[in-house]
Parts: sequence; structure tokens; C-alpha cells
Amino acid sequence: MSKPAAPPSERRPTDWKGAAMQKRIRRRYAAERRFRVLGAGAVILSAAFLGFLLLTMVAQGWRGFTVTELALPIDLRADGLKIERRQLATPAADLALASAGLEDVVQNAAVRAFGPEGDGYLAPSAWLAVRTAVKRDPSLLERRATVYVPAATGFDQALAGEGDPAMEAGVARLQKLGAISRGFNWAFLRESDSTDPVAVGIWGALKGSLLTMAITFLIAFPVGVLSAIYLEEYAPKNRWTDLIEVSINNLAAVPSIIFGLLGLAVFLGTWQIGGHVYGPMLPRSAPLVGGVTLALMIMPVIVIASRNAIKGVPPSIRDAALGIGASPIQVVFHHVLPLAMPGILTGTIIGMARALGETAPLLLIGMRAFIVTAPGGFTDPSTVLPVQIFLWSDEVSRGFVEKTSAAILVLLAVLLAMNGLAIYLRNKFETRW
Amino acid sequence: MNPFALSFVILGLGLIGWLTARARALRFDRGGAKRLHSLPAQHGWFVAMWTVLPPLLFLVVWSAVSPGLVRQTVLQSPTAAGLSDFAFERDSVLAQAREVAKNPYDTEADPLARQLAPVVRAARNRYAWTGTAAAALLAFAGAAFALSRIRPDFRARSKVERTLMMGLLVASLIAIFTTIGIFASLFWESTRFFSQVPITQFLFGTHWSPQVIDAKDPGASLGAVPLFWGTFFIGAVIAMLVAIPFGLMSAVYLTQYASATTRRWMKPTLEMLAGVPTVVYGYFAALTVAPAVRKLAVLLGDPFASSESALAAGLVMGVMIIPFVSSMADDSLAAVPTAMRDGSLAMGATTSETISRVLVPAALPGVVAGVLLAVSRAIGETMIVVMAASGAATITLNPLQSATTVTKQIVDLLTGEAEFDSPKTLAAFALGLTLFVITLLLNIVALRVVKKYREAYE
Repeated sequence: MSKPAAPPSERRPTDWKGAAMQKRIRRRYAAERRFRVLGAGAVILSAAFLGFLLLTMVAQGWRGFTVTELALPIDLRADGLKIERRQLATPAADLALASAGLEDVVQNAAVRAFGPEGDGYLAPSAWLAVRTAVKRDPSLLERRATVYVPAATGFDQALAGEGDPAMEAGVARLQKLGAISRGFNWAFLRESDSTDPVAVGIWGALKGSLLTMAITFLIAFPVGVLSAIYLEEYAPKNRWTDLIEVSINNLAAVPSIIFGLLGLAVFLGTWQIGGHVYGPMLPRSAPLVGGVTLALMIMPVIVIASRNAIKGVPPSIRDAALGIGASPIQVVFHHVLPLAMPGILTGTIIGMARALGETAPLLLIGMRAFIVTAPGGFTDPSTVLPVQIFLWSDEVSRGFVEKTSAAILVLLAVLLAMNGLAIYLRNKFETRW
Repeated sequence: MNPFALSFVILGLGLIGWLTARARALRFDRGGAKRLHSLPAQHGWFVAMWTVLPPLLFLVVWSAVSPGLVRQTVLQSPTAAGLSDFAFERDSVLAQAREVAKNPYDTEADPLARQLAPVVRAARNRYAWTGTAAAALLAFAGAAFALSRIRPDFRARSKVERTLMMGLLVASLIAIFTTIGIFASLFWESTRFFSQVPITQFLFGTHWSPQVIDAKDPGASLGAVPLFWGTFFIGAVIAMLVAIPFGLMSAVYLTQYASATTRRWMKPTLEMLAGVPTVVYGYFAALTVAPAVRKLAVLLGDPFASSESALAAGLVMGVMIIPFVSSMADDSLAAVPTAMRDGSLAMGATTSETISRVLVPAALPGVVAGVLLAVSRAIGETMIVVMAASGAATITLNPLQSATTVTKQIVDLLTGEAEFDSPKTLAAFALGLTLFVITLLLNIVALRVVKKYREAYE
């Protein structure tokens, strides 16, 4: 650390003012400053990376929340759409409109209104917007009207100045016509997956996530809290208890993909042993299957958080309750558990947030189906938000880039809200004994 | 009735049972002649337990059994005679029939499936109602039995508490069952794999190309060494080169230098890095970092640089691990006795000298354990490498070239076509077992290190 001390015989008081000592002190202080800057740099760079990631997502994703719409003049009767009003009232209306050739009618209308390349300006799903409009207002069948339909991805990019020249010419012409309008893309929050990037939405994935999380919570929370109570309050200290503790600690560190393999093996096992019983009856991408897998994954997180919260309740509470005649069960359920609840809930929310962002195990068990309608229940085929992001990120069409980033923004917003709630709960209800 | 709705109805019945029993017990109490053994609410719980638990257990069993019964009934119906004998085709038609039963306007279904749909619907309805009736019967029978036992001297409390204890024990056993389940399923599938491919060929083979498997010698193209190397290179080398300096320095700065306000704001900010879902990191790595790394490689004179380089995946993974290393380092720095720090400062050492020569050496076992845990997390990380790393298995020391990992290969092997007995699919389980064992060992070693270290100061 320092140079060897001078022999005792020559020992004199240190000359702090001496040039050599001053130099040495300066060097040490410079090192101190460098170290400090390095530390601050590490913190700032890490935070900057987070900021850069968020900014990139916002820069790419904000357009995903907007939609470019074209005002399309349309006259369904004149264009020869052969369909009766009363057919629109039946549940088979979609089918009837499709087989009456609505798609062609809309394309023809676009060509007539916007020129020979007009149908290329419309999104492939534009006729679905007309279909919705007709179903909402059947009088459209008999009169001329203007319907707002989504524009194609290429058109949208041309509008942002990144498209090809032909498209930009079209944009200029339509701008002169005043047919372009931009607005908030409600369909993005209302619809599900689609092959057309303009028509995709996250509602299906979001609902799938909600259903999956419901199953995860219903299993992981009670099981996690109950086993934490047992281990912390009642378990005798023996080999079995040690085994339980070791396996919980290990489970908390097992990579998530392993839980996917477990889910797959169990599912395939029942698939084979049960003689294909579940195959047709319970799809592999059901929220029930995914929820159980994720529940096993986050259960150790909840157990560990709950145990810490229960440990934090001072023994005097237990002694007082026991002293006035409460049974051991009453001590825990009437006194310890309510006091530990804020900590338990915080841990649970953090675990649920982890489950909500998890992708790999769900990919493995097969929750990667192409879902065009939002799931109605726990056994319907569905997808979840992170898997939807993964699937969209694989799409080659450029329109999916902004949709992927927009979906990421939604996912991050939900996670941020959950973590914020956890921090709020911790700060509000944390008791210092 | 749908099992979820039915569970709510049963819970409602349980509530009614609870209220009734409590009211009854309260009436006993009023006489004053005979004191109740248990509190009225405990009698309530006793009845609620008997009302709710048997039908719920029945429902769990029933919902596992009834799809099979529905299937049996459908297959025995005369309409099903036209079904193919091949299990795969038959199941596909049945699956379509199930969809049509739900949504009659599905036009693309097989005609036979459309014919079968009413049969499916009828069978489902029948079994659903049988189940509902049986569950209701059980609920009422249980409630009646329990209510009949309520007397002033009935020991409701001990019964309820014993059941609750059983519940607690069962809940804590689930962790063991999960561990056993993981190990058993990985082990079982891996044994089947190793019966087709010698274990030495898998562990020491250097050629990995599961797309082309020679049926006579499947092991020749299933040598996992390139995967192990790629996993080690990306997860334990590149990612740690980012995570260790940044994590350690952040922890040092935030604990030793930063003001309380900075610490209060920056610590959660860094922790947010850990809260970002891995699929987001993967997307970011593939879309933003990988092209940048490729450009760098081209600048460095490699015009054919891969856009799926090991560096891009490793860098982003390292950033993801920063908060993990940082919080482990934070904990172990905080565990160093203040006297050591104060002593060093009092001797005239600067803060940085104190940190690098006293605090960090004293906290080293904890830091090392934290790094080991971080490595175990990095090599088990999946989505970043699935989205940003390459599928080509090469052994390379050049971070600008492509490398693949164990987790990436597991996902690739299992998300192709579904042939569940091929060596290709089973190889995924063997890789999973390897990953499981390695992360387990890393964790055990890390915990050992931490334990030893704690004993030194307490």
C-alpha cells in the first residue's frame, strides 16, 4: 500500500508540505476522482441504455397507435352488391356480405375514386371496415355514402416520406382531394392478430394474457402463501422441511425455459397416455395450460417473498395472541397474516409481472397460434402479449415493425403500472417495528 | 354449466352454509346453560368446508375425465362411423367439430365435422349437466351432514384447524412435486434420447446440424459442444464483460458516493432494467443493436459480417444482468462491518482506496456468488438469443461471428413440426437436462460461497 517505512533511527515527522508528498497526495486524489467518475459513468450509462431502449420503442411505436384513413365514396346498390337488408340482421351476415362480393365492390370503388392504382392505396382489410359500417347502418346498402377505410402500409409510409415514388404521387393526389385523415387507431386496441399489419390489434393477446394471469394467480397465490405460512410458522425442523426449502430455492433459480419443457412433457404425456383424449378438447394454446405452467414458475417467488414478510412480523405479536388464548391457527390467520399482507402482495405483484412478461415457456408448450378472435374462456386457443410481440417481430412486412413496438409499449405500460402499484403498496403499508 | 361458473355457485353455497351454521351456533350460545366448545364462526367454517371441498374436488376430477367421456360418446354415435381410422385425421375432424359446435358459421370446416357438431354439442351438454347435478348433490349432502353435527359441545375448531393444517402441508409439498416433475420429465425423455444417441457422442461431438439427421447414425449431427461453447461465450464471457464492471461500479457508486436522493432515484431506475421483459430486449437486440454491430464489423474490414453476431446478443444480455449483479454486490457491500470502512478511512485512505482495498476484498465471496448466479441466469436466458443469435452452430472466438446457444436450440428444435419421438425433439430434452444440471450446480456453489462468507462476519 505504501513504500516501506524508513528505518526507526531516521524517523522524523512526515513532511506534508514537501514536494514529493504533495505530488503523491495529488496523484491519490486524482485517482479518487477518476474512480468516482467511473462509478457515476457506470450508473449513467446503464440508465442511458434504458432511456435509449424506451426512446427507440416510442420512436418506432407511436405510429402504431395512429391510422391513416381514406374517405372512400361508395354506392353499394349501384355497384351490384346483391344482399337483402334482412340478411344483415342474422348471425350469418359476415358470411353473406363476403359471398356477395363486398371485397371486389370496395376495390372497384377505390379504383373509381382514386384512379387506376386506387385499390393499392387501401389496406387489404379495408373491406372489413366497410362491412362493419354496413352492419352498423344498413341504410348504406341503398344510398351513396363516404366510408373511412384504413390505408395500406405502403401508403402510410409514403405519407411519412419513406415510401416509393409511385405511392408518394398517389399521396399527393389524394391530399389534393382531401381524402386523407389521420387519427387514433382504436382498432389496435380492439382487434386481434391478422395477416394485414394495418388491421392487427392487441386485444386478443391482451385478453389471453388476462385469462392466463387469472389462472396463474388463482394457483400461485394461495399455494405460495399457504406453503410460506407452513414453512415459516408450523414446519418442524427436520429433513423433510429442509428438502422442501431446498427445492423451493432451486425452483426460484431454474431457467424459465425448463418450466416450458416440464409443461410440454406433462402435456405430451397426457396426450399419449390419455389416448388423444385432450387433443381435440383442450388446445395446447389454452390459457389454462399456460397459466398452470407460469404458476409453477412464479410460485417460488411468492413463497420467498411471503416468508420474508411473515418473518418480519415481530414475535411479540404471536406471543401476545397466544397469551390471550388464541390457537396457533388463529395466531397466524388473525394476526400474523394481515400484518404480513402488504409484503406478500408486493412479492405477488412482482411475481405476476414476471409471469406477464414471460415468453419462452409459453412458446415451448405451443402457445404460439395465430389467433384472429379474442379468446372467450380459459380453454379457448389464445395467445399472450409477449408471444404476440415475438410472432410479430418475425413478420417480414414493414408495417409490423411499428405494431410490434406499439405492442411493446402497451406491455411496458402494464408492467410499469404493476411495479408502481407494488412500490406504492410497500411504501404505504410498510410497518417499521 | 361451465366449471368456472359452477365453482362460483359452490362458493356461494359455502357462504350460505357458513352463515346458517353461525346463526345456529349463535342461537345455542344464547341459552347460556351450555357453553359452546368452539366459536360460532368456527362452526360456520366447518359447514362451509363440507359444502365446498367435496364438490370442488369432484369438479377437478370431473373436468379431467369428462372430455374423454364426450369423445367416447361422439365416437360411438352412428354419425361417427364415417370417421377415418387414422388417429391423426380423426382428431383433426373432431377438433373441427368442436369448433363448429361453438361457432355454427364456421364455413371452412370439414362436412363430416359439421354433421358431428350437433352430436358433440349434445354430448357436452349431457356430461356438463351430469357433472353439475353431481356437484350440487355433493354440496347439499355435505352441508346437510355438517349441519346435523352442530351441537354446543361439537369440536368444530379442531376439525377445521386439522383440515387447514393438511391444506398447508399439501401446498408446501407442491414445490417438491414440481422439482421431482421437472427432473423426472427431463430425465425420462433424455433416457429415451440416449437410447438412440450415445451420451458421449452428444456431450463431446463437435458437429451440430439437427436439420439434417442421418437416420442410421443420428448422433453424428447431434454433438452439442458448439452449443455449450456458444452458451458459455455469449452468457458467461460477453454478457459478463458488460454486467460485472457496470453492475459492480454502479453498486459501489450508489452505496458509497451517491447522495440519498440520487440513490433513491437511480436504484429503482436500474432495477427497471431487470423488469423489462426479455422479449423486448430480444426485439431491441435484433432490430437496433445487431445492425449496429454488423456495421461496426464491416468498418473493421469484414464485409460478410453476420447480422446475428454473438456480440449483439451478449451485449444486450449483459445489460439485462446489470441490476442483478448490482443488487448482489450492494447486499454484500452492505454486509461488510462499518468498523472496517471507518478504520480504513481513519487511517487516511481515500474513499476509492477504502473501496478497492478493504470493502471489495471483504465482500468478494458475496460478489463472486452474485456473479455465479448471474452467469446461471444468463445461460438460461432464452428470448434474447432466440431473437438475436444465430442458429448456426460454430465454435469461434470472434464475437462478431455468429454463435448459438443451448436455449436457442431447444426452442428451435421444439417449435418445428411435431414429431414427438424423433431424436431431434428428444435432443431438446437432453439439452434441457444439461442446462438444468449446470444451473443447479452454479446455484449450489454460489449458495455455499455465500454461506461460508456469512459465517466469517457474524
